[in-house]
Amino acid sequence: MNYSKIKVQKNISRPDIVFDLVAIPGTSRVLLASSDFNIHDLDISQQKAESKTLSGHASYVTTLALGKDVLASGSYDGKIILWNISKNEKIKSLDAHQKWIRKITLSPDGKILASVADDMVLKLWSFPEGKLIREMKGEHTPLTPHHFQSMLYACTFNSDGSLVASADKTGHVVVWETKSGKKVASVEAPIMYTWDPSARRHSIGGPRSLAFSPDSKYLAVGGTGKIGNIDHLEANARIEVFEWQKQEKSREFIIDKHKGLVEFLEFHPDGNILLGAGGAGEGFICFVDLKENKVAHQEKAQMNVHGVFTQNKMTSILAGGHHRVMEFQFEG
Amino acid sequence: MSNRQFCGSMEHFVSRRGFIGSAAGLSIGSFLGQKAVAEEIKKQGKSVIMLWLAGGASQLETWDPKPGAVTGGPFRSIQTSTPGIQISELMPKMAARLKDTCIIRSLNTKNADHGSGAQLMMRGRRDDAALKFPDLGSVIARELGKPDSPVPDYVSFYLQTEGRNFAGSGFLGARYGPMELSKEAMPENVSRLDQISLEDFHDRQALRDLWSKNFSMGRNSGVLASHEQAYLRVNGLMDSKKLFDVTKESQKTRDKYGPTQFAEQVLIARRLAEAGVPFVRVGRAWWDSHGQNFETHQELVPELDHVMATLLDDLAERGMLKNTMVITLSEFGRTPSINASLGRDHFASAWSCSISGCGVVGGSVYGKTDAKGDKVAEGEIGAARLFATIYKALGINPQKNYYVGSRPVPLTDPGTEPVKEVLA
Repeated sequence: MNYSKIKVQKNISRPDIVFDLVAIPGTSRVLLASSDFNIHDLDISQQKAESKTLSGHASYVTTLALGKDVLASGSYDGKIILWNISKNEKIKSLDAHQKWIRKITLSPDGKILASVADDMVLKLWSFPEGKLIREMKGEHTPLTPHHFQSMLYACTFNSDGSLVASADKTGHVVVWETKSGKKVASVEAPIMYTWDPSARRHSIGGPRSLAFSPDSKYLAVGGTGKIGNIDHLEANARIEVFEWQKQEKSREFIIDKHKGLVEFLEFHPDGNILLGAGGAGEGFICFVDLKENKVAHQEKAQMNVHGVFTQNKMTSILAGGHHRVMEFQFEG
Repeated sequence: MSNRQFCGSMEHFVSRRGFIGSAAGLSIGSFLGQKAVAEEIKKQGKSVIMLWLAGGASQLETWDPKPGAVTGGPFRSIQTSTPGIQISELMPKMAARLKDTCIIRSLNTKNADHGSGAQLMMRGRRDDAALKFPDLGSVIARELGKPDSPVPDYVSFYLQTEGRNFAGSGFLGARYGPMELSKEAMPENVSRLDQISLEDFHDRQALRDLWSKNFSMGRNSGVLASHEQAYLRVNGLMDSKKLFDVTKESQKTRDKYGPTQFAEQVLIARRLAEAGVPFVRVGRAWWDSHGQNFETHQELVPELDHVMATLLDDLAERGMLKNTMVITLSEFGRTPSINASLGRDHFASAWSCSISGCGVVGGSVYGKTDAKGDKVAEGEIGAARLFATIYKALGINPQKNYYVGSRPVPLTDPGTEPVKEVLA
């Protein structure tokens, strides 16, 4: 990829914070998970993009997963709502979790929806029926070692859907077998979690994103580095790559031009490029070249990026974040 | 008089020698006016436990939620035990026990700087160029402390290193300064030296008492009396060491409070109040959530909720709540607007505190902010009226004068009225 050719194609300001987004294939419609408790259906081809609203959640909508005709939305209200996106109608609402839902994601075949929440349970649901298949719990403890509530931030499937991984605040990452619900392996990313025992006596950080390589050999974990002053996300954003079957960290990458969290990770289909995005006060997207073993490109975004949706082998990158939606494309 | 006389270091090191020197060296003018009233208040054995939420807790994630507003954040509000009053869902235990607590939602203190904001909210006013005012703990120590008390008058826990050193006794002098515990919850340097046996220690005390009596015979000196009193207080301080030992509490009680450092200190604060210490501040840092505000408050507010609710239950079960005031206060609140790092910044224009127990109308809210929490809509008060209200609730006249030389200095600025609606 010729990273110097990346350009901002669209830059749409928003009154809300966009936590996640998905594009409906073959259309210019983009669905946004919003801090105003709604999902917004935005036609980004319009000069002055106006949105239709899907209402039903009672807190921040933080995560979206798109099937063929059905959208799933997860919220801090603990509910997953399934929507018919042709009619923009609610199909059903699931009382999915006891606490904040941090991430939902669909298996590659679109038949299983995974969800993680601060009740520290990973749940699998049949999709689009919305029936609970199984719960995976016990590996992510509800309290941190310092007696405070932990959080289960991220989950992802591997390329054939046989594995699903989850990551909690303390940096404990678990790989589960989808079919049996059994733990297969675990790895640790403790640098991403900072507990300040003396100056401020609370914590910050934690892994926020996960991605399996296309061959499932590697598991990438995105977060932030060890933080000195935990009033801010002042450490550089950070990606660690594990050979999870060996339970070994094989590489780590520091996003040295940008501070904050890596909130999104995705491998390019060829397995050689890893796309990351995130930020703190400011945001970024970055490309890690795994062949060259380096952070190949860091692109400043005009917002802290919370969610990304890629199309056409990453040649089009939609990003949503703090009061803004942006589209990046590679020229030529 | 500088409070440095009390301190061996910048961190308010507790030193017996410094304590004696300062306690014997008071030089304030006639602040013993209204003696009868003061003595009556002291007899009632009132105490204050302040939970100092250092760094600035968010009012929107505690006492004044704005669910659904653009500024409201992700948390919902929940109904409290008082119909019509809702607080953040992060405080379910306090919601169930609001009957003893008054929430004040209309603080506009106009100072969003950590240092000067903390000084303001600890003193109720800004220092004069020529006069440093005492903080709330020092005034309470002066007003509620008993001269013959064997326990300290003012204890301050602040074990975190961020945001220290904003307390101080100002013109009241070191006698009313805090016993500042900044390294561990147990006072340093108050133990009998290992190389001195208990028998030897008592012999030395008896010898000192004898010499002191002989020296005092025929002498009518205030300095001598003060010096004698200081020694008695030091002995009391050494004896009170056990009050700081949380292991003296039953495991059941310790479990109720919980395992965190804050929980243990609040339990010690209850032990101190029970033993007659008039003012204890437990500093809980650090709420300064410029980034990741909601994650920070998800950690800190449930701890506050649990520990505060347990404390109020404990005080009530022991029959102490009527005479013990529990205050939650910070140097300021946090901005309604949410910054790009999902944080909230410093904000002093419209924020909240709470007063529970002694002298206040429980199950109530005073003041109101607008729909987004940007401004006070009703009942705006500043630090001075808050302090006048606290003093009045404790039975202390907010307009009482101290004298620095011949200068009369009222406890709160002239004309400052307490908030009647808050007072029981």
